[in-house]
Amino acid sequence: MEELIFNLKTQIIDALNLEDMTPEQIDNDAPLFGDGLGLDSIDALELIVILDKHYGIKLASPAEGKEVFKSINCIADYVQKHRTK
Amino acid sequence: MRGAISITGMGILCAIGNNAQQVLVSLQRKQSGIGPMKYLSSIHTDIPVGEIKRSTDEMKAMLGIRREEPVSRTSAMGALAVREALQQAGIKDLSHKRVALISGTTVGVMDVTEQYFERMKTEPELQYLPHSNECGKSTDEIAEFSGLSGARCCTICTACSSALNAMMVGAEMLENDEVDLVIAGGSEPLSRYHLNGFNTLMILDRQQCRPFDETRAGLNLGEGAAFVVLEKDAPNALAYLAGYANRCDAFHQTATSKDGEGAFLAMSGALKMAGLQPQDIQYINAHGTGTPDNDASESAAFRRVFGEAVPPMSSTKSYTGHTTSAAGAVETVICLLAMQNGFIPASLGWSHPIPGGVIPSLGCSGVNLEYVLCNSFGFGGNDSSLILSKHRLETQSPSLASEDGIRIAARQMVDNVEQLPLLKDYLSPMDTRRMSTLMKASLLSAFLALKEAGLEHPDAIITATSRGMLELSTQFLEDISANHEELLKPTLFMQSTHNTIGSAIAIRTQCHGYNITYSQGEQSAFWAQRDARIRLRKGQAKNVLVCAFDEELSEGKTAVFRAESTIYTLD
Repeated sequence: MEELIFNLKTQIIDALNLEDMTPEQIDNDAPLFGDGLGLDSIDALELIVILDKHYGIKLASPAEGKEVFKSINCIADYVQKHRTK
Repeated sequence: MRGAISITGMGILCAIGNNAQQVLVSLQRKQSGIGPMKYLSSIHTDIPVGEIKRSTDEMKAMLGIRREEPVSRTSAMGALAVREALQQAGIKDLSHKRVALISGTTVGVMDVTEQYFERMKTEPELQYLPHSNECGKSTDEIAEFSGLSGARCCTICTACSSALNAMMVGAEMLENDEVDLVIAGGSEPLSRYHLNGFNTLMILDRQQCRPFDETRAGLNLGEGAAFVVLEKDAPNALAYLAGYANRCDAFHQTATSKDGEGAFLAMSGALKMAGLQPQDIQYINAHGTGTPDNDASESAAFRRVFGEAVPPMSSTKSYTGHTTSAAGAVETVICLLAMQNGFIPASLGWSHPIPGGVIPSLGCSGVNLEYVLCNSFGFGGNDSSLILSKHRLETQSPSLASEDGIRIAARQMVDNVEQLPLLKDYLSPMDTRRMSTLMKASLLSAFLALKEAGLEHPDAIITATSRGMLELSTQFLEDISANHEELLKPTLFMQSTHNTIGSAIAIRTQCHGYNITYSQGEQSAFWAQRDARIRLRKGQAKNVLVCAFDEELSEGKTAVFRAESTIYTLD
């Protein structure tokens, strides 16, 4: 699980252009959208691409990702349960 | 009195017809033109589209262009629509007239670029191809192929409101007696580029679009070209441009504000200019894309302008698909056909009302349409509204202030990466993380100029660029090519329209005023300055920010860039 979380954070930093951040700086439980990290609707689309590209998970819409993308831990749980690669 | 701007001719090609008569028949028979992809080459064959039922080669043959000539579909469609419009206006000889062709496009000649993109890397003889993102090229070609070689050409690139803004610019040129005749509109073909771009934004419905329906799930992309002939006080007027306004939502690059602020301001501005009350409007051709976001936000704006009594409203994108940059002109021509033939076009595909939402018209004939409103909204919240009237309206022309009082209050240039860290004084790293070098340089020049002029935000923003967001567009083309149209990056596409920077400045300075982008090669800055002077002289702005920018690439990355912001004020 720890390795998955680290990989996810690295992929997110890369895809979302969070160049000034390190994986350690992203809190596993902190909200990613709104008051937390402050991601927006375009980031949600980038997260959908990450899940598809690296883990073979297809989400049909950003609305479907709303619960999944609450925090790094939420994404990691979802990936572990649904990954196809 | 202001001379009335009359429309004397119209020409159109879109999914429901290759001329105005065919479009009229399809509208009256309630026949949509959206269906499976036939002419565009893409792997996404499951996405329905609204294609013009003619290949580019067929169009080229009609225009007498050799088959092997790499002419853009944009230009071919545009030239055919211009020819129809001139013919209807009964114009044969233009040799003694001052003529302008104002076209709205965002794809420009991208369809040719993407066709040759891979080969251009290795075949030097293909380097002459218009691979440089220059939207102005398509307008030059439209002029050439429609017999308007002497016309002044100008291209407006404000994404999906481009063509409507082109008609506004054209009307003002006539008003100011800069020309005798204007042909204005827009042309946008389907391209792999923007089909994939919209696909990354996950706003393409896999079924027929359902504007203003509770179950709506996105838009269908379409293509189209439409142009109108504008003349001052012409005896053979089909209708008049009674009012128009462009405002900025200043909310987000691709999302719309919940209360539809930009749309509200644009509709209110157009009504004010026409001297009409909301209840005077008898039909609204909505922007109505069918995305959950747009239709909710536009409905909120309708309620703010019209209250409970929203006039009959429909979205004809259910026939044509969303013809993006051409939509404003395609839908203006549809409005003209509705006015001439006394009917309200139906909104197709609608069956479930949005709770508390506005219900679109399912069509109605035998009506007299005196005043019609047409909405066109683009990326970056570039919102425009146009009002057509069947008869000439007696409105007072705004008194123009003298040129003499116009002065430059500030000017700042950014052309060196070492200047860019200064942006930290204005924006957070979270806000700048997606920005290209050119975007950072342009925003910095704008902030520095505003500071020098002692202003917090400008009243109006005008941008000028020959090649737009060249680096991001090239990266997205690479992405499409390398990943075979799958799992592409929305971040690249959402910032790739030429008006991205104008919108970005508006969003960061909360400027809801006029916002327009010119792209006409080296003349882009000239057009922007001209427009700034008009805003000031008309009293529509006390100050105008003009930002001119361009970049050159080396191996796909920004190598040389220059952004210059100037603040014009009127004493």
